[in-house]
Amino acid sequence: MSKEPDNQSEQDNQQGDQKNWLEWAVFGLSLLLVLTILVYLGYKTYTQKPATPDLYVEYQPDPSPHSPFRYHVSVHNTGGKTAEVVQVEMVLWQGGEEMEKAEMQIDFAPQKSKREGWVLFSKDPALADSVVARVVSYKQP
Amino acid sequence: MKRPVYESLKDYARGIAGGLLFSFPLLYTMEMWWAGLSATSLQLIILILITYLLLLGYNRFAGMRPDATWGEVAIDSVEEMGIGLVISFGVLLMIRRIDPAAMGLTELLGKTIIEAMAVSIGVSIGKSQLDSEESGGGKQPDGGPGSSSDNGKPDKTDKLGMAVLAICGAVVVGGNVAPTEEILVISLEAKPIHVLMMAVVSLLLSIVIVYFSDFRGATEKFPKDVLYHITFDTCVCYLMALGTSAFILWFFGRFEDVSFWVAFAQCIVLGVIATLGASAGRLLIK
Repeated sequence: MSKEPDNQSEQDNQQGDQKNWLEWAVFGLSLLLVLTILVYLGYKTYTQKPATPDLYVEYQPDPSPHSPFRYHVSVHNTGGKTAEVVQVEMVLWQGGEEMEKAEMQIDFAPQKSKREGWVLFSKDPALADSVVARVVSYKQP
Repeated sequence: MKRPVYESLKDYARGIAGGLLFSFPLLYTMEMWWAGLSATSLQLIILILITYLLLLGYNRFAGMRPDATWGEVAIDSVEEMGIGLVISFGVLLMIRRIDPAAMGLTELLGKTIIEAMAVSIGVSIGKSQLDSEESGGGKQPDGGPGSSSDNGKPDKTDKLGMAVLAICGAVVVGGNVAPTEEILVISLEAKPIHVLMMAVVSLLLSIVIVYFSDFRGATEKFPKDVLYHITFDTCVCYLMALGTSAFILWFFGRFEDVSFWVAFAQCIVLGVIATLGASAGRLLIK
């Protein structure tokens, strides 16, 4: 609230609680918001168990005019902790041998979230027997 | 008679302007978003409670009329926090730091709450300071506890008010650089002599600011008294600045797995700017 000249503030003092509907509405909504958040956080704190990140990778071919052998990769973290510096590796296998390996790094994969990116190969994945993507490593924030 | 709705709208507009003005650097800071990712629920609860205490303190000693009741102060503080949460959510959504489709509730909440706490202090300051029409005439006769130190006879409440405002100043000014990695880099590469220099400069800055702002004119009247008050105010300023720095650094996890020396150096490094906030910033926002 703003500071006001003396006569005004005396007046205000007599009706200190005389707020209009807008102020009550803002206060009510704010209180509801803050309390909801506190209750939710309290519940989360109470039910929290020690957890680790749990990541899996999804991928699908997503060619573009300049990179025909491109894959769209999304990293999902279903665990209860954030993973930092996530290394994802994609390998093209042909006849039991590694044909090509490509890597992708993601800075942060927060809990219950998804991060996306692309991996580019120089050789045609259609020539490979199989394409395998996996998370190689991540560290604790 | 109730306050006209137009007046309240003006109040909120000032609050929103202040919230954005004082906290925008933090909304655009990577480390703040990262902190939102890794903060635990308990940390967020502590942060909300501490921010609420700060808002209470600021509104008590500077933000509102000195005759406002604690009830009014409490109500306004809740309002400011609510506005802060909404602004923070809106801006983060706008700059695509939160994306309800791809993110879990924990991440959304973490980022929003951490930014919102900085914004709500800005809202509080904006509401009381961006008041161009009335502040000129309204401030002087008002003589709130924060400003009555000008008369050379500060009382107990005055000192408490000063300490609270010093913390608010330190949070608002120091908070802008506190989450950045630069603090850690400076303290890792500083030799003890540099850290000592930073501490001395902080103290000198604080003395100069306190002397030229609070005690101009009072010098001839009470020479001994003034010396005591300057020493006292400088100590309070620096201690509040260091304490605030330590809390913020701890919150951002800067004390984990570092030696005592590095933790201490970080406090001093952040303390330089926090002291500026606690001394000069305090005078700006009171």
